[in-house]
Amino acid sequence: MRAALALLAAAVLLALLVGPRPVGPGTAWAALTAPDLTDPAHVVLLTQRLPRLAAGLIAGAALGLAGVILRGLTRNPLAEPGILGVNAGAALAVVAGAMATGRGDGGLVVAMAFPGALAAMVAVFLIGGGLRGGAGPMRLALAGAVLNALLMSLVTGIVLLRAESLEVLRFWNTGSLSQAAGRPLGAMAAVVAAAVLGALAVAPALDNLALGEAMARGLGTRTARAKGVALALVAALAGAAVAVAGPIAFLGLMVPELARRLAGGGMRAQMGAALCLGPAILLAADVAGRVVLPPGEVKAGVMTALIGGPVFIWLARRIRPGALA
Amino acid sequence: MRWGALILALAALAALGLTMGEVRLGLPDLWQGLWGGDGPGALTVRILRAPRMLVALGAGACLGLAGTVFQTLMRNPLASPDLMGFTAGAALAVLAALAAGLTLPPPLLSAAGGLAAAVAVAALAHRRGEGLAPLRLVLVGLGLGFTCAAASAFLLQRLPGPEATEAQRWITGSLAARGWGHVAQVWLPGLALAALLAVQVRALTLLELGDDLASGLGLRAGRARLRLAATGVGLMAAAVAVAGPVAFVALMAGPLGSALTGARGAGARLAAAALAGALITLAADLAARNALPGVTLPLGLLTGLLGAPYLLWRLSREMERGEL
Repeated sequence: MRAALALLAAAVLLALLVGPRPVGPGTAWAALTAPDLTDPAHVVLLTQRLPRLAAGLIAGAALGLAGVILRGLTRNPLAEPGILGVNAGAALAVVAGAMATGRGDGGLVVAMAFPGALAAMVAVFLIGGGLRGGAGPMRLALAGAVLNALLMSLVTGIVLLRAESLEVLRFWNTGSLSQAAGRPLGAMAAVVAAAVLGALAVAPALDNLALGEAMARGLGTRTARAKGVALALVAALAGAAVAVAGPIAFLGLMVPELARRLAGGGMRAQMGAALCLGPAILLAADVAGRVVLPPGEVKAGVMTALIGGPVFIWLARRIRPGALA
Repeated sequence: MRWGALILALAALAALGLTMGEVRLGLPDLWQGLWGGDGPGALTVRILRAPRMLVALGAGACLGLAGTVFQTLMRNPLASPDLMGFTAGAALAVLAALAAGLTLPPPLLSAAGGLAAAVAVAALAHRRGEGLAPLRLVLVGLGLGFTCAAASAFLLQRLPGPEATEAQRWITGSLAARGWGHVAQVWLPGLALAALLAVQVRALTLLELGDDLASGLGLRAGRARLRLAATGVGLMAAAVAVAGPVAFVALMAGPLGSALTGARGAGARLAAAALAGALITLAADLAARNALPGVTLPLGLLTGLLGAPYLLWRLSREMERGEL
């Protein structure tokens, strides 16, 4: 836990100080305590880096926590909101809502992300048979990957249809923190905070479920309700993450694996670790994307996929074809 | 009988593709343009639409053949080069050369990338004692595809503006601005590799019976398998070089071809898959050009929209049978 906190602190510092225009720690402190709007360094810090930092904290915490819940629920290391198409469902709903209302992707349209995420998750579990048990973990991952591809094609199609700028398309196709200043940070932070409380409350039930359905019932857990609550929480978390950072994949894959190694098997401990590790990895990916190819910028979603792809292969290799989900 | 219907559908789609578009041509204009060399249709047909149609036919047929080779070798309908990440590897190699400023022929680059991806997936999915389980192969390939796609997106940032726009279009799978040079680029290697494949049909038939039986019948199973896989990668690479990593054509062509023609033997199924792959690609391209007025959608978007529901249906069907 201490290691996770240290990582998060380091990532936050990097996110504030590093970029195409480096800012010294002294200047950063001055900008935060006594902002001077005539100093360009202060302006960069306050209008660019700070919103990006906030978006990274919100989306990273949300996706990391969603990954831990999904993995605890399905006991499938590949079950992740990005790969299962939940993020894509949220992005599609926002883009479709923006097209239907003709008012862009601001305001209430962004709230479409929540029903979108929920619908995609219901669909992937229906097709992949993830909650019944007895189904191979490969099937859920495959069904998710295909649903993700389908929903992403639809996002691309709709955005091309609107014939707007390429930048809009890229945000809803590959997540990034670069649009942070224009995203609804406050509202989504509130959603994530509420979901974190909900997750901590449902954690003991998930711990019991990990012992098996019958054992959990014997311990007094209302299993159907616990599963429903957990899935609703995942949808809320994924929706909030997509609303601030677009669809970012693989974070929910890497974080639970790391959290398990750092914090052991207990759900609450894993959730706590994930709340630190998720933002730390996302912010580090964002910082790396900012400096790796100057003067251009690589999206945080591309950077997480670059690390996450090999992690996916590594996890997939460990699954046995006949293993139960 | 049903073979005739498939070929007829292909010819009808080709004619439709030549007449429809921004400029609508009547059949007489088309005829005049094709054979007479003058009249309103000449430029449109000869420069714009005919090469595009021929590239679509060639790339679709190559993908259909490649998909069926792997599906038959692995005896699994999901083991197609697009799901296993080979097409993404091929595309990454082409982009990497572009970003590094190397000027090598795209078919060679995509073949090298596809081969590297295939070797990597096979090596990573192999487990001692279990060999190559098809589903682990698909899953590991999916991961490699994710990785290659991310690396391609990364490289796109490095390309200068105009090249980046073109590469961006190509990476989703596109037939925009294809000329007669591209026709040669896909048809020459495609025909050569198809001939090579025709020689190996017997080996494929034997391998389908299982490696033990095939060896008993005098086939060197391991070598035959490698040769067939290399031919399949080559066919896939020829298509990717001209049309980009078009999604799901290789996956759908085999089952569709067999369903339409009732083909049973390996050779007949390969022929049917080539025709079906060409049919899917032509139909998708027709839709991509004409679905929205004034906008040409990327080909890969349409095949993705066609292929994903098919794959989901297939997944749920296999699951009901307990095969997954």
